[in-house]
Parts: sequence; C-alpha cells; structure tokens
Amino acid sequence: MTFSSPSVFASFPLLALLAIAVPAVSFTPQNNFDEIARQADSARKEGRATEAIGLYRQAVQIHPSWSDGWLWLGDLLYEQERFPEAQNSFAHFVTITPAPGPAWVMKALCEFELRDYAHSSQDLNTWIHGGRQGNEALADVADFHWALLLTREGHFDQALQLLTERAQLRGESPLLIEAMGLASLRMPNVPEDYPPGLREEVWLAGKASFYLAVQEFERGQDYSHRLLVDYDQQPGVHCMHGLLLKAQSKSGEAAQEFHEELQISPENSEAMLALAQIDIDNRALQEAMSLARQAVQIDPANPDAHHVLGRVLLAAGHANESSRELESAERLAPNRAAIHFDLSKAYQQLGRKLDAQREMSTYSAIKKKSLAEKSSMETRDAPQSPEAPQ
Amino acid sequence: MIAIITSALFAIAASLPPQNVSPTVPSAIASQTTGAFEQLAQDAKRAREENRDDAAIETYGRALQLKPEWDEGLWYLGTLLYKKENYFEACTVLRRFLAQEPGNAYGLAMLGLSESESHDYVRALGHLKQGLAIGLGDNRDLTLKSRIVTATLLTRSEQFDESMALLFSVMTDGADTLSLEEPFGLAALRLPFLPSEIPPGRREMIRMAGAATIAIEGRKYADADKIFNELEARYPDQPGVHFLIGAYLLSEHPDEGIKELKREIEIEPANMPARIRLAQEYIKQQNLDLGISLAQETLKLAPYEPLAHMVLGEGLIAKGDSSGGIGELESASKSLPDEVEVRWDLFRAYTAVGRKEDAIREKSEIERLSK
Repeated sequence: MTFSSPSVFASFPLLALLAIAVPAVSFTPQNNFDEIARQADSARKEGRATEAIGLYRQAVQIHPSWSDGWLWLGDLLYEQERFPEAQNSFAHFVTITPAPGPAWVMKALCEFELRDYAHSSQDLNTWIHGGRQGNEALADVADFHWALLLTREGHFDQALQLLTERAQLRGESPLLIEAMGLASLRMPNVPEDYPPGLREEVWLAGKASFYLAVQEFERGQDYSHRLLVDYDQQPGVHCMHGLLLKAQSKSGEAAQEFHEELQISPENSEAMLALAQIDIDNRALQEAMSLARQAVQIDPANPDAHHVLGRVLLAAGHANESSRELESAERLAPNRAAIHFDLSKAYQQLGRKLDAQREMSTYSAIKKKSLAEKSSMETRDAPQSPEAPQ
Repeated sequence: MIAIITSALFAIAASLPPQNVSPTVPSAIASQTTGAFEQLAQDAKRAREENRDDAAIETYGRALQLKPEWDEGLWYLGTLLYKKENYFEACTVLRRFLAQEPGNAYGLAMLGLSESESHDYVRALGHLKQGLAIGLGDNRDLTLKSRIVTATLLTRSEQFDESMALLFSVMTDGADTLSLEEPFGLAALRLPFLPSEIPPGRREMIRMAGAATIAIEGRKYADADKIFNELEARYPDQPGVHFLIGAYLLSEHPDEGIKELKREIEIEPANMPARIRLAQEYIKQQNLDLGISLAQETLKLAPYEPLAHMVLGEGLIAKGDSSGGIGELESASKSLPDEVEVRWDLFRAYTAVGRKEDAIREKSEIERLSK
C-alpha cells in the first residue's frame, strides 16, 4: 500500500469520527481481542462454559491463528458433547499446531462420536506414532478407543491385548464387556453398530474374555459354556473356550478346541498362535512353525505372531531368523516384557552379549514397573467402576 | 412413540424461555439478519403446525444458521428430527439445546431417548436418569416412556435390581403390564439385553419370567406358581430360571428355595447371585458353617466380589469371630460405599466390640444414604 492509495484518504474522515466516538483503547482489533480473550479465560475458569464458548468464538474470529483459543473452545464444546463443533475447533488447532500432541486424541474422540471412524483411526495413529503425548487419563481413553477401532479394522488380537490390559487395570464395565465380546468373536464392528440379534453372543463372549483376562477362569467358563451350547458354530467361540482351558493348564482339551475353531474359521490367528504355543511345549516344532508362519502371513502387524514364530525358531535352533522375528515383535510391542526376554536368549545364542544384556535389562525394567503397578492395584479391593464413554 | 413425543412437545412449548436477544452486529446488517431470521422462524413454525415436518426441519435449520443459539428453534428441530427417526442428528441438536438450557429435564429426557435409539446406551442412561431426577412435571407420557427406557438400559448395563425397582414403581403407577413383561423378564433372569435384542429362541421364556414377576408384584401368587411351574418344566437347564424361582420360594418355602438355588449353581457353577443368596440363606437359618464355607468358596472364584465379602462377614460375626467378620465387612464397604446393608452390619459389629467412633461414623453414613 502507498500513501497515494485512494482508500486511505477515503476512509480518513470515518476513522476520525470513530476515534472521537469511542475510547481509542477499545477500538483496535488487538486490544479488542485481548479483552475478549481475557474474558473468555475468566468465564472458563469460573465455570461459565456457554459464555466462555461465545467469547472464544469471537476471539478466534478476530485472530484465527490463536491456537489456545481453538483448543479451549474445542475442550469446552467437547465437555458439552457438541462433537461436530468440537471437532471443527480441534481441526483448526492441529492445523495451526500440527505437532502430534493431545489435541489429536481429542479430535479423534470427536470423530469417533460422529462415527467418522476412518478419520478417528487416522488421528489416533498420528498421536501414537508421535510419541503418545499427554497424561495417563488421556492415554487411557485413547487406548480404549484405539482398541475399538482396531476391532473394527479387523486387528482383533491387538485389540484384545489392549482390552485385556484395561480389564486388569480398570475392572469390569458394560462397554468393556461389549468391546471384548466383539474382538473375541472377531466381529469387525464397534459397540454402536452390530446387529441387535447378536447381543447375547457378544455379551457372553465379552464376559468369558473378561474373566479370562482377570484370571477368574471358572467364572469365564460359565459364560463360555453358554456360548458353546447355543453358538458353537460361530467364529471365535471354540477359541475362547480353548483359551480358558489352556489358562487352566488343560492343554489337551484346549488344543481340541483350537482345532475346532480352525475348522470353523481357518484364518483365526489367535487360535493358531495358541495352538502353536501348545505345540512348542510338546516339542512339536514343525507344526508350531507352520502355524506361526501362517499367523504372521495373515496378520503381519500382530506382535504375538512374530513373537511366537521367534520362539519356535529359537527352539528349533534358528537363532538368527528368530532374532529377526523377535525384533519385529519388539518394534510392534515395545513394552511387552516377554519379547525382550526371548530376544535376549536369541542374542545370547548368537553371541551378541551386549545386545543380550540390554534386552535383559529392558525385560527387568518392564517387569519391575508392572510389579509396582500390580502392587498398587492390590491395595484396592475391587476393580474400578464402569467408565464413561468419553 | 410418535404420539407420546408429540404430546410432550405440546406440554413443554409453553415452558420455553423467551427468545434470545440476537448478538451484537453492525446495525444495518443486524436489521437485515433479524428480518430474515424472523421470517424463517415464522415459516418454520407454520410448517411445524401444519405437520409439514420436512419443510419445518429445513426452515428451522436455516433460521439456526442465522441465530445458532436460538433455544426454541433448537428444541423444535431436535424433536422433529426425533419424530422423523433421525436420532443421530436429533442428539446433535438437542445437545446444543442443552448447552443453552443445561438443566432442562425435557431436553435431557429427549436426548436420552434419542441416544438410546442411536445405540449410545451409556450416555442415554445418564441423561435419562438426570431428566427423571429433575422431574418431567405432569407430562405423564414422556415420564412413563423415559422410566421404561431407563429401566431397560439399567438391565442392559447389568444393574438388574435397580431396573426391577424402577419397573415395580412404573407398574404401581398404573402402566400397562403387558408391555412390561419383557423388561421385567430380562431383569428377573438377569439377561442384559434390550427387548429388541432378545434372541428369537428366548422370547417366550423371558415373557413367562416377566409375567410371573408381575403376578408376584400384584400378589397373584397362584398365577405366579402356575407360571413358574411351566417355566421350570419348559426351560429346566436355562441359566437364571432356578435362581428366579429359588429367590421367590425362599421367603415362604425356604427348603424348596434352597433346592432351586443349588440347581442353579449346578447349571452355572460360578453364578454369583445364586451363591451369595444361598450363603445368606444358610446364615439366616443359623447353618453358619455351610454359609461361611460357601462364601469362602465363592471368594476363591471371585476374590473381588463385594457381596461375598459381606455375607462372609455376616457369617463370621454370627459365629463369634468379630475381628474376621469386621475385616470382611470393611472390605465389602470399600467396594460398595453406598450399600446400606453393609453399613448396618458394620454399625452393629462396631457397637458390639465397643468401637464407638467407628459406629458413629457408620450411623452418620446410614443417615446420609437414607436421605
């Protein structure tokens, strides 16, 4: 712009008039913005949410690049369960501040509520690969929704792993039971969208799976028996029963159930891996190897598949190939203690002493941490109460 | 359903707050916007009153673009979307309405009903409970619908006793008992499904269980006996049936009740309610060793089951082991801080061993919970 621009001259008289009519301090957009932003923060801190929302909206209209404004706006709207508007605010925030922080989880949660599962999954993935920033409560909610999305995308074993950890830490809730039921029955659905006629089956499987997770096997077996009576031809049912039997060291009966499962659903990698582990214990390494390889082929992103294959290869004396599989497993599940233990053994066999020591220390550190968590859990008398869906 | 909601709308319309003042905008634009808004609001109202629902929805939507916080518009748009069975959109709009009117019981009830239809059951239960707690005034249809849906959602979340209590109160208020058969049957058999989720092969059994429960509540014991006999004959191996019959028989025919509970445990060895009820009955009959041993066995199966801790505590105290009993009761109380029965047990036990301060604390808790 130059001084000769007609617009400057044209607007001068109006500016002069306004300057007289209102105090100069409240006129400039910057001061106006500062005041609105201050009022918005006060309203939020004092619990006047709806007022704060209005003020934040005004503030981000003046300064669309004010990232904190978008964040607080999203947060307040989310609290009021106004998910489309909250999603929009978080979307603005992550455009301005693209680092994969907690706002990605909030955006993903809004999208989940809006049943836009593809974007929800994409955003959670961004957050996970960006180092899972945020506090424990956020991670807890994120992991639960991630497990639901994994189930919907057909990654049942990974979903079950997450849900099992949650069951052990948080105890029973209707939503968790439903989520575990869907994953156990290998139904690619979320709790909101499966056919009502399958509710009994999902509930029974969820209960069986939950009691398996918290090691109350006899309770689990009651539900698993009921499943067998009415739904014995459904995928996942024999596998569930087999897992409960295996957990009680009834390997022979368990193996029979896994075989039956594979007749019904030949691609059930959980049954394959459970059977492979029984085969390893029985030194039937060829069978175990074939099952584990098949499981890796079906679900290459499943750390359990690589772990079991790594164990079979190690038992069969193929330490080099074993270490490669175990390294894959470690990449996919870096916090799984048993993988580090087996990897340490593989490195030992390969003469890689330093690597073996490092893996053993990681194993010990994870074990120590999990023992500490367990002992803090034992101070409670019962698992936590049901969670809210947020 | 539509009739119920429509009548609810008429009842609530008068209670809506006056229209909001539009936000400050430059005067020329403001008068243009206000004029356009007023016109749209009138058109929407006319379309709604003439039952041109699609036109009303479209026009309310346009008016709300000009005034997003117009509570009356949000309410009518939300309820029209519900009427058109567009439940998911109804939820979105009713949440915006509730942001303007956070304690509006009708809004909470309508949102809960919409969420239930959208399969968002946890939120639905929360909102319906909130709406009912605030009170839906004299809108009998909406109140009835909300209470029944709340009861079915309580059943679905395995809160069977709470569901039964609510259904009994609905029945006492004169609701049609036939429509309550399935909700009652599901809660009585402890099956956490909605009526729409009943598997085809179970519906008759559930209806029979519901009819028997309704007969008991109506003191028609001969009818209840007849239905129970038929239920047991037709479904001898179904989980839940013997527990229901056993619990019914315990008050008048305790020995037969015990037999039924034992049969339930044979069918489902880890059935917690049957085990706990049976252990309680043994203790009541002063068969303390049996009661204690059953409670202990139950805790081996389910170490965190608070009611098993409570029953074991009661048994140990009855046998003279105050210290052991108090420990069990305290354990139960930690998990069930709002369970009055545990508080009473603890109050009596502390009093008996002279722990006055603890007894006073329990008494004040009992008073708090009884309010």
